[in-house]
Amino acid sequence: MKELFPAKQVMGFVFSLVLTVVALLVYFTDMSFTVGMTVLLVTAFVQAFLQLVVFMHAGESKDGRSIYTTIFYGAIIAIVTVFGSLLILIWDM
Amino acid sequence: MEFFQRFAIPHPSPAIYASMVAIALVSIGIVVGLTYFKKWGYLWREWLTTVDHKKIGIMYLLSAILMLFRGGADAIMMRAQLATPEAKLLDAQHYNEIFTTHGVVMIIFMAMPFIFAFMNLIVPLQIGARDVAFPRLNALSFWLFFFGAMLFNISFVVGGSPDAGWTSYFPLAGNDFSTSVGTNYYMIAIQISGIGSLMTGINMITTILKMRAPGMKLMQMPMFTWSAFIANVIIVFAFPVLTVALIMGTTDRLFGTNFFTTGNGGMDMLWANFFWVWGHPEVYILILPAFGLYSEIISTFSSRNLYGYKSMVASMVIISLLSFLVWTHHFFTMGQGALTNSIFSITTMAISVPTGVKIFNWLFTMWKGKIRFTVPMLYSIGFIPLFVIGGVTGVMLAMSAADYQYHNTMFLVAHFHNAIIPGVVFAMLAGLTYYWPKFFGFMLNEKIGKSTFWLLSIGFVLAFFPMYITGLDGQARRMYTYSEATGFGPLNMVSFFGAGLMALGFVTIVWNIYYSFKNSPRDIGSDPWDARSLEWATHTPVPVYNFARMPQVNSSEAFWDSKKKGHQLFKGEYQEIHMPNNSGVPFVMSAIFFVAGFSFVFALWVPAVIALIGIFICMGLRSFELDHGYHIHVEEIEETEKKLGGAK
Amino acid sequence: MKIDHSQPLEYSTDQNQLNILGFWIFLGAEIMLFATLFTAYFTLAGRTGSGPTPADMFEITPVLIETFVLLTSSFTIGLGIHAMRLGRKNAMLAFFGITLLLGLGFLGVEIYEFMHYYHIGATYQTSAFTSALMTTLGTHGAHVTLGLFWGTFIIIQVIKRGLTPQNANKAFIFSLYWHFLDVVWIFIFSFVYLKGMM
Repeated sequence: MKELFPAKQVMGFVFSLVLTVVALLVYFTDMSFTVGMTVLLVTAFVQAFLQLVVFMHAGESKDGRSIYTTIFYGAIIAIVTVFGSLLILIWDM
Repeated sequence: MEFFQRFAIPHPSPAIYASMVAIALVSIGIVVGLTYFKKWGYLWREWLTTVDHKKIGIMYLLSAILMLFRGGADAIMMRAQLATPEAKLLDAQHYNEIFTTHGVVMIIFMAMPFIFAFMNLIVPLQIGARDVAFPRLNALSFWLFFFGAMLFNISFVVGGSPDAGWTSYFPLAGNDFSTSVGTNYYMIAIQISGIGSLMTGINMITTILKMRAPGMKLMQMPMFTWSAFIANVIIVFAFPVLTVALIMGTTDRLFGTNFFTTGNGGMDMLWANFFWVWGHPEVYILILPAFGLYSEIISTFSSRNLYGYKSMVASMVIISLLSFLVWTHHFFTMGQGALTNSIFSITTMAISVPTGVKIFNWLFTMWKGKIRFTVPMLYSIGFIPLFVIGGVTGVMLAMSAADYQYHNTMFLVAHFHNAIIPGVVFAMLAGLTYYWPKFFGFMLNEKIGKSTFWLLSIGFVLAFFPMYITGLDGQARRMYTYSEATGFGPLNMVSFFGAGLMALGFVTIVWNIYYSFKNSPRDIGSDPWDARSLEWATHTPVPVYNFARMPQVNSSEAFWDSKKKGHQLFKGEYQEIHMPNNSGVPFVMSAIFFVAGFSFVFALWVPAVIALIGIFICMGLRSFELDHGYHIHVEEIEETEKKLGGAK
Repeated sequence: MKIDHSQPLEYSTDQNQLNILGFWIFLGAEIMLFATLFTAYFTLAGRTGSGPTPADMFEITPVLIETFVLLTSSFTIGLGIHAMRLGRKNAMLAFFGITLLLGLGFLGVEIYEFMHYYHIGATYQTSAFTSALMTTLGTHGAHVTLGLFWGTFIIIQVIKRGLTPQNANKAFIFSLYWHFLDVVWIFIFSFVYLKGMM
């Protein structure tokens, strides 16, 4: 039975629960908007990275580099699109 | 009765009734012809169910040429209407529909399938692969594109065409101002073919990353393959944006949501933003494969290897990133602040640097080369000065302050046609002439080809350069007429004349195909142009398995090395070849998409739901299907190779 | 079909490796799909018209349940793949079953949530904000729904045909999809709900 629960994945799960609880502090405590958003950004991206490495085994095959390139390229363009659009439509309108 | 009124066109005219009759007659003609010559089985077995990348490429090619004429007819009508002041040839509504369909057809249903045709035909051959990574998906991509195109094209006889411009800006495209079903067609037809494009992107990237011939490193790929790779990377990250924007536009029109409306918090500018987040990368999706074709052609006909291979690759990688950083330059006048406009002005100007690098690389490739002035080479040489003019006017438009003067004028129209026609259309025609013998077994006539080139080049200059002048003088685009007092008349007449020359040029292409089919010799061998990369290393016509033995590669010009430097391309014994089975599912599934799309356009919910269920059933069947493909045995390969004239 | 036994089953044929890489590239496209939805949501979140604001609509309890259920399901599908690599077919099926049940639970809570929105007068058409919210949540929910069917199909195939290279490949790719949906949910949880209730 024990072999079905590898330490790496159990630790990953525990860590992702911890990150979720930390993110929840934003709701349960009184934070400024800036601090709150910083906490959320950090926990969300760490959480995503955790899933990518621990659960999705992104780097395990010989295509690991292609896979990481794809995901990071996508993430960069996604961030540019989100923030660029906000700049155009809200912050600098 | 009200139910049927939706299917009527909003502005009946004799021309449209004539088109209806023509469409009906052609359809009947095709059905009767296929039945009379007993070709239904052939059509189904060899084409509709094929998963062979070469046949799919040819079908893309035919569709693209067909759509070129469809979009070209729109163009001629527009130029004819504008040739004289206050002309009455078209009314405003009809003109609106025509410039809209011209844009959509030319970009989405002509240029895109043209580049997909070359990607499908060339990329697997250039990297020495047997097919693409997902042959079945490839067929699905084609049929989705095809049925998307058909759905869009029936709009002008059933229900009316979209009339809000190819950019389809809201609130004009919303229910308040676009009351016909036209814009529904726009949203849904582009959606269907866009899904196909996205799948091609995934397919091609995987193919290029994983299926290269033994020994071929990334930095040894032929330049067209590199350009296809980068273009597909852009497709994968740009098309989802369009998908989402179109979904939002569709729900706004059909379900009363408030994304781009002017009430309840909706923001019409969000559409413009999304459209160009996709739209600008789209420009590079079209131009990069064109650059790749020029690279192949210029290097072959200069009898030299490509100058600056690494800088070519680097400039494309930079372009792929920058193409996502410039979209605001399409709407500098929308009202955002100077900071935003300045940032996007700078990124826009920056993107001309890698493009300039490529231009110099082509010039240096020709420098001291032994240039052969064949038709493909003529297009490539004509492309360079014409495209530079398009590029320079682009830099003018990139200055956001000056753009307030140029915006929405004929100057802009002249600019982007100046980039797209020499950039993309010339490349496609050059590629068509260059690769024609590989896939059809005979050459296109050089003499007719050269007259085509001159007709198109001169026609192009006459058609579009006058618009720079009228545009600066204030002639607005998308206006169906102008008064005599503006003085735009004579220059617009010149444009019309140029457009006529271009139309003549396109007709000579068809004439050339017919003439060469009748008269050209068939014994051209497998390498008629004395070319350099792997696609010329296999037989003409290409056998179904492409290469009987996998080519061994150790440079970017393995075939040239094998001809001149004694590199041994094919080693070892023949081995059994594994090939994918044909399948009718992609065709059927895409046809169901067509039904679903049509039902959505007219808000016919029952057939829409039934069709959607049909699509999911197709996907479910695919999940449970066991398809291991089939094997071609060694004896069969030997026989084929002997029949095609010697082992390769 | 050549099978390379030095690799895990899901990587063991050429086609399997192509499928996995191809699916990763598809996930790259999905990142952009959701990024576009987020862009729309962030742009329109403050544009509530005469309808409710985020703070009026969101409740912490269903969101917490959804988050922990989906996180757990992401963990169990990971265990399912681990079991598959050990060749433990029944354990794998059990973990896949648990995952799908958790997915079903998630979907149930989400449906409850939508009904709640409807009752307080926030529909798909109410305002730009509700349109964007429901499209973002709905797209994620539709992915989960599709995943439920897909996962069920894979379970049936593993039961019927055993742990073949094809089935292992499908199961692995399904696990990538499921983890990805969890990642998307993390962003929805953080930047739609928590930001909205902050």
